[in-house]
Amino acid sequence: MGDEDDKGYRWETEYEKTWEELHEDESGSLQASVDDILHRAKRRLLQDRVTNVRLGMMRHLFIVIDASSAMSDQDLKPTRLIATLKLLEFFVEEYFDQNPISQLGLLISRNKRAEKITELGGNPRRHIKALETLSTQACQGEFSLQNSLELALSTLKHMPSHASRELLVIMGSLTTCDPGDIKEHIKVLFTQDCANIRCSVIGLSAEVRICKTLCQRTGGTYNVILDESHFKDLLSQHVTPPPATCDRKVIINFYLLLGFPHHTLGGDKDTGEKPSMCMCHLDSKTSQGFSTTGYFCPQCKSKYCELPIECKACSLTLVSAPHLARSYHHLFPPEPYKEFLTSDIVTDGQVCCYACQIEILDPHVYVCGKCEKYFCLDCDLFAHETLHSCPGCASSRNLQTIQATSIS
Amino acid sequence: MEDKQNNSLLIIILDTNPVWWGRKQLANDQLTLSHCVDCVTVLADSHLMLTHKNKLAVIAAHTDHSVFLYPRPQSEKSMAVKLPDDGQYEVFSQVEGQLRSQIQRLIAADKVKIDDMYEVAEQPSDSLVAGAISMALCYTHRLEKECPIGETLSTRILIIKGSNDCPSQYMNFMNAVFTAQKLNIVIDACVLDSDSGLLQQACDITNGIYLKIPQPLGLLQYLTWVFLPDPNTRSKMALPPRAQVDYRAACFCHRHLIDIGYVCSVCLSIYCTFSPICSTCQTTFKIVGPQKLMKKKKKL
Repeated sequence: MGDEDDKGYRWETEYEKTWEELHEDESGSLQASVDDILHRAKRRLLQDRVTNVRLGMMRHLFIVIDASSAMSDQDLKPTRLIATLKLLEFFVEEYFDQNPISQLGLLISRNKRAEKITELGGNPRRHIKALETLSTQACQGEFSLQNSLELALSTLKHMPSHASRELLVIMGSLTTCDPGDIKEHIKVLFTQDCANIRCSVIGLSAEVRICKTLCQRTGGTYNVILDESHFKDLLSQHVTPPPATCDRKVIINFYLLLGFPHHTLGGDKDTGEKPSMCMCHLDSKTSQGFSTTGYFCPQCKSKYCELPIECKACSLTLVSAPHLARSYHHLFPPEPYKEFLTSDIVTDGQVCCYACQIEILDPHVYVCGKCEKYFCLDCDLFAHETLHSCPGCASSRNLQTIQATSIS
Repeated sequence: MEDKQNNSLLIIILDTNPVWWGRKQLANDQLTLSHCVDCVTVLADSHLMLTHKNKLAVIAAHTDHSVFLYPRPQSEKSMAVKLPDDGQYEVFSQVEGQLRSQIQRLIAADKVKIDDMYEVAEQPSDSLVAGAISMALCYTHRLEKECPIGETLSTRILIIKGSNDCPSQYMNFMNAVFTAQKLNIVIDACVLDSDSGLLQQACDITNGIYLKIPQPLGLLQYLTWVFLPDPNTRSKMALPPRAQVDYRAACFCHRHLIDIGYVCSVCLSIYCTFSPICSTCQTTFKIVGPQKLMKKKKKL
């Protein structure tokens, strides 16, 4: 945020000749050139990612969705609201994929009021269902930032301080209709109870001063979208856990009590197992969830058909070991590859990407500092964004032991 | 459905661990590497024969590195192309030839290594399967990008493994498995010797088939019966039932499997008892248990 202020407004900076970077390829298409620029931008983002910081792994995030009349604008197709909901569905999936032991809640704001759509919870399906029903509703009235903040805070306040508490506002409106002084309210965010709540805003139309102040004060980020794909990128930045806030007063070190349930496969007639209803489908009218298979809570033996979930009977968080393993990649991310000119490396004609065997025709080649294998740009991005481990290091014996000792 | 062109890519990961195969040889086991390679070749050919759109890749997971056996990079291919003279489908002879020559090269490289060293160092008896899976995923990722518009690519990975699990690969392995799950790639496993916990989890997470073959000599039959049909047709076939998978975590302190554990909020290490200092990240914890914990303890 700091350096953006120094830069001032974009129209005050020097004239950028953006078209000079574009070059036509043999067939006269600009696509390759555009893709290249996009890729490099992505790579830069990856390199900016800080490593070796304490991350807030257990997140409590509230998403405030603007449902005011400004959201029925059609600058995002078909309307702003529907486009937002579509992207959020994707976001929810990603969020729980990357943060298996975190929770999420949804709020909407319309008619100068804020409503809670879903409580904080760890079940992606519930949120996605809620998002689907939202898309049929109309956008009405005005947006209220203060009411949304208040409603979110009333829940987040009671969340344990070891978890990271976050708020993400998706705001299409340029105005907010508040019952009191919003600036006073933002100050409240620094009282003891509410300390450490990070507020971020994604604006769909233009920069709004009050949102900027809010984000700066609480350590969040404020962005305004350029187009739909930029919107998606901005949302995906909120998928990775943020560094934990270093407030000395708050104890963030904590043991969580987690249950690792047994998975029982039915079908054994000898054991005399009877089919039973699982706790997650109790409300459903169909026979879904009625079977002998399932995960049993080690504490109260309630049955669930999927993990992770919080046990409805004894409120123990149930996870499976792979779920925890899934979050380890945040703690031990692969090192960024170094960029080299292909012409410096090539000695006998061609270089091939170690992972995908493609012949590297790009002027740049990417080299892992640890295993010293060559990779193409695609694989570089894939290894860091999706795979979270280096294919070269994973298939090199002496690097295995190094990694293993650094973990345990 | 017919208007959609579906390409099916089968990636076979073959464990070529010299220690494990060598032991088999010493024990006069009937299953040898060459027999196994024969079976894999038949499976590969059958897969390619189903439709001409089908694609294939074979990766060897060796003891200290992984190599693509087929396809080889463009540059090498042009040198070795030799048209068959008996009217055999060119791709078949290419697959067979490359598989054999590449495995030969692997073994020869090992031999050179052993000859060079006067004292033969202990070779680890586990293979780096995670690296091979990661490479397979990158390869799929590339093919998906190259896929023409209007065609889809469905991928599955078959792992044929005999040697032990490599515990230090756990993280890499799990990362690869979750990536596969995200990309809708099915991981199947055909285990030749002892059960593998990691592969069981991988197959369960990605909805693949895990099979420990009861009769090593019938390898070919198992391969063509269980692993040739693609995931869509599997529901119509009588296949071996899914195995029970143990998803419990092992605590970091005693390596016991536990039902309920304490997990460090900073690094997610798992402990079976409350300890004031996390041994992984050296964080100190407040000893006064928080209210929530106390309540739960009473219920136990």
